[in-house]
Formats: sequence, C-alpha cells, structure tokens
Amino acid sequence: MKPPMWAQFVLWAVAGENEAEFVAGDLHEEFLLLCADKGRPAGSRWYGRQVLRSAATLLGLRFRSGEAAHLVAAALVAVAMPLLLLDRLWSFVYSHIPLKDGLDRAPGFWVANLVCVCICAAMCGSLAHSFSRAVGVALAAAVGAACALWCSTATAPLVYAGMVILAAPASSMTVFAWRRSR
Amino acid sequence: MAKGDALGEFEYLVMLAVLRLGANAYGMRVRQEIAARTGRDVTIGAVYATLERLADKGLLTAAMSDPTPERGGRAKRSFSLTGAGMEAANRARQDLANMLEGLQFPLPGSTQ
Repeated sequence: MKPPMWAQFVLWAVAGENEAEFVAGDLHEEFLLLCADKGRPAGSRWYGRQVLRSAATLLGLRFRSGEAAHLVAAALVAVAMPLLLLDRLWSFVYSHIPLKDGLDRAPGFWVANLVCVCICAAMCGSLAHSFSRAVGVALAAAVGAACALWCSTATAPLVYAGMVILAAPASSMTVFAWRRSR
Repeated sequence: MAKGDALGEFEYLVMLAVLRLGANAYGMRVRQEIAARTGRDVTIGAVYATLERLADKGLLTAAMSDPTPERGGRAKRSFSLTGAGMEAANRARQDLANMLEGLQFPLPGSTQ
C-alpha cells in the first residue's frame, strides 16, 4: 500500500535533503498502521493532511539549512537571468533592423531561448545530489522561468511560455536522473 | 543562562518524549507520544523542526538506522539526550517546580 502520489511529491519538494527521507519514512510507517486500522482512504487523508500542515515548517527548515541558496541560484541565476538577458539581446537586435522594431519575434528566437533555458536548468539539475534537492531545483526552475516570462519585454506566445515552464524542470530532472543512473 | 538556552514549552515536551521512548525515539514515535499524553494534534513537521533545533543546540544527538520495509525502504533517525540535554531538562523541571511552588491547582474558574 502506497501513500497518495501528490502528497509524496509535495513532501519531497518542500522537505530539505536532511529531513525528506526520515519524514517520508515516519509518515509511511504511520500511514501503514492507519490503513490497517481504519482503511486506506482514512490513511491517505491523514497522510495528505500531515504533509500540507507540515509544508511551511519543513520549507522553513530547508531555508535555514542553507539549501535554499542552491534553489534560489537555480531559479534566478540559471533560468530567469539567461532568459531576461536573451530577451534584452533580441530587443537590441530587433531595434537595429529597420521596420522590425515592435514586431513579433521570429520562431528562431524563441527556440534559442528554449534551448538555452534547458541547458542552464540541466546544469543546475546535474549539481543536485539528492532527489529532494532535484525536485526543489526543478520547481525553482519553473518559477524562475515564469518570472522571466512575466518580466520580459516581448509578448511570448502561449505555446512557448508553456514549453519553457515545463521544459526547464523537465530537463533539470532528466539530467539528475541520468546522473544518478550512471 | 543566555536567552536562547532556555527551553520552550514544545521543546520541553519533545525532550521528555525522547527521554520516555529511549532507543525508540524517532519522529513518528515522538509525535505519537506527545499526541497520546497531551491530546495535541502535532504535525510531523513541527516535531522534526524541534528535533533539529534541539540537535543544533547540542541537547540531542541523532543516530541513523538501516532502511526497513515498513518505512518504504527508508532509513530512520533516532534521537537521544546529550549531557547538556539532561542538564537542560533538569533545569527546566526545577524552574517549573519553583514557579509552581505554593500555587493551588486546579485554578479557580477553570474547567479542569
């Protein structure tokens, strides 16, 4: 019997690498006892409630342990900054081409952004040395990408925005999984 | 005694739970022990945050155990009191006893 997937994911996302394994183990142990006693739905509800009520505390613990520095770096330096710099670069390029200033950007520019953000997020993911931190980095990358899109000067197509927000965490997790499998 | 050295109420409860549980003092057991004895619905996050804080203060020490199937193949971290932890627990007990001395309980007007 396994606890709800969403709750496990939230737990791994918010708990620091020092706590995630032990907290998950403790909750799993009590979850099994509850399932045997009151049934799986009650156990799942209890597990979900524990995770949600503990989320802020565990996140605070993670920030205090200094692990947050890596996550903030992943979000800002590795994802948001390159995207914003590219945005400024493309604006500069367009401003120097007659009759192009103010027009929508060509797909090639969006693709270049996407490739760049995937490489940066992947590099960040490769530095994560635990699953918990990798999930944190992936979430931070998604948040960083969303912030960069919000702050960019050009109006991004919806498809591109969705792809960046999904591709950044996906490439981060993929590289982490690849490194761990080796 | 410096301000940060005094034990908070929940910290004291966690330390007493660790003392009671002995070798079996890990997050889930501490949570259950406090819930059973005080009736508080304590979250595992609050217990771990307090255990970590007490360990940082040098009042608790942690030991890892091997992963077990009933924990989903995950390891367990058990806690025990250090010498400084014993001293802090004794001091907190003495402080409480000193403050309670001469007072009559239950207090008038209370339901318990």
